[in-house]
Amino acid sequence: MLLPKFEYHEPSTLQEALKLLSDLGGNAKLLAGGTDLLVRMKRKIDKPSHVISLARIPGLDEIVPRNGHSVTIGSAVSAAKLAGHELLSDRFTPLAMAAGRLGAPMIRNRATIGGNLVNARPAADLPPACMVLDATLKLKSASREREVLVNEFFRGPGETIIEQDELLVSIDINTPAPWSGGSYIKLGARKTLEISMVNVAVMLTLQSPDGSITDAKIALGAVAPTPVRALLAEKQLIGATPSEALFEKAGQVGVGTCSPITDHRGTMEYRCMMIEVLTKRCLMQAFERAKSWRPGR
Amino acid sequence: MKRIIQMTVNGEPVELAIEPNRTLLQVLREDLELTGTKHGCGLGDCGACTVILDGAPVNSCLVLAVQANGREVLTIEGLEENGDLHPIQKAFVEKGAIQCGFCTSGMILSAKALLDHNPRPSEIDIRTAISGNLCRCTGYQKIVEAIQAASETMAGSGGDAR
Repeated sequence: MLLPKFEYHEPSTLQEALKLLSDLGGNAKLLAGGTDLLVRMKRKIDKPSHVISLARIPGLDEIVPRNGHSVTIGSAVSAAKLAGHELLSDRFTPLAMAAGRLGAPMIRNRATIGGNLVNARPAADLPPACMVLDATLKLKSASREREVLVNEFFRGPGETIIEQDELLVSIDINTPAPWSGGSYIKLGARKTLEISMVNVAVMLTLQSPDGSITDAKIALGAVAPTPVRALLAEKQLIGATPSEALFEKAGQVGVGTCSPITDHRGTMEYRCMMIEVLTKRCLMQAFERAKSWRPGR
Repeated sequence: MKRIIQMTVNGEPVELAIEPNRTLLQVLREDLELTGTKHGCGLGDCGACTVILDGAPVNSCLVLAVQANGREVLTIEGLEENGDLHPIQKAFVEKGAIQCGFCTSGMILSAKALLDHNPRPSEIDIRTAISGNLCRCTGYQKIVEAIQAASETMAGSGGDAR
C-alpha cells in the first residue's frame, strides 16, 4: 500500500510548528508516531498535502515529575515509555497499564499519548485512563494557549474540541491523594494488536487502608461514541464502605451510562454484561492497590 | 520534493535522496536492496517488516524513511557476525522454527530486541515480545523454544554465569 504524495516539514521548535500549522490550515496533518496517521493516509481516508513532523521538537517526548504533586507528560511520549515508567506505574497506574495494552510492542514504540487522545477513537486505550486521573490538556496555537479538562475534550468518534491550528502540547496530571489505587482492564478477542470490545479504567481513594471510599472515578471505553465517565456508579461508591457487593452494584449502575452498539467485535448485550463484570473486577483491583498504598517518592 | 537523509544501516553509513512519502520499508527493500525485511500487510498489523530503529523494534511500513534521518537501523542482514549466523538465527534453524519463512526476519528482530534488554526472559516475556509478529504457519511453539534456546546460548557465552 503506497502513501500519497505530500510535502514534509520537520520544524525544530514548537513556535515553528505552530506557525506552519496556522499557515497551512486544513491542508496539514501533524505526524507523531504515525501508527494511525500513516495507516489513514495509506487507506486514503486522510489526504493532507502537508505533513508536519513533531520528531525534532525538544521536550515533547519527556515525562517531567513536578515535586511529587503532579506530572507533565509531553504529547509525543510513546506508549512504551508510559508503560515502562516507574512513577507512572506506581502513582498513575491506569495510564501505565493502558499504555501497556495498546497495540503490540512495535506499535507501542511509536504510538504517542497525544496521538491516542487527539484521534479520539471510542475504543482507544489511553482516554479512559486519562479521564479517571482528571488529566488537563494543554493546547497551543500560534496566537493562544488554553488548558482543557480531558473530560471535556471528546465530542464524538474522531472528534474533539481541538481547533485546526492547535497542537496538544502536554498532559498534566495531579498526583492522586494518599491511599489511592487504580487499574485498567481491556477486553478483546485476543491479547495484543486488539481494538477493545470494552475497556474500563478506575481510580479509588480511601480514607485509610480500612476506611471508607472518599473518591471514585470510573471511565468506560468502546461503549458509547466517546469514552464516558460512569458518574452515577461513582456516586454509589463515594462515602461507602468498600465491599465486593458494593463494587458489583457499581457495575450494574455503570451499565446505565453506556449506549454500546452491536458490531463485528461483539453484540450490545455482550458488551453490557461485560461492562458490569469488568467494572466490578477493575474496582476490586484498584481497591487492593489503594490498601497497599505506600508513601515516599 | 526529494530530501537528503543520512542513516546508519547495519553499521554502515548511507546517504540517500528520497521522496518523503516513501516508507523506511520501501527504501530498505527497493533502494538498498535489503529484501530480508518483508512487506506484509503494510498497516502495522503483521510485523513482517520489523526492523530495529535506535534499539527499539518498529514496523518499518509505518515509519517514513525521512523519519529515520540521523538514526540507526538494524535489519536481518545486519545480524550475522563474521559470516556466521547470529545465535538467534542458528537457534531458529536448529529448532525448526522456520516454515514458510515470511515472518522469520521480523520474529528474529523482535527476539533480538528482547534479548538485548532482557537476556533471561520468561516464556511470557517471549510471547509478549513477539505478539506483534504474526506467523500464518502458526509455528509459534517452536519459535518460542528457539528464542529460549538462543537466550541460554547467548547468556552462556556472555560469561554471565547465573
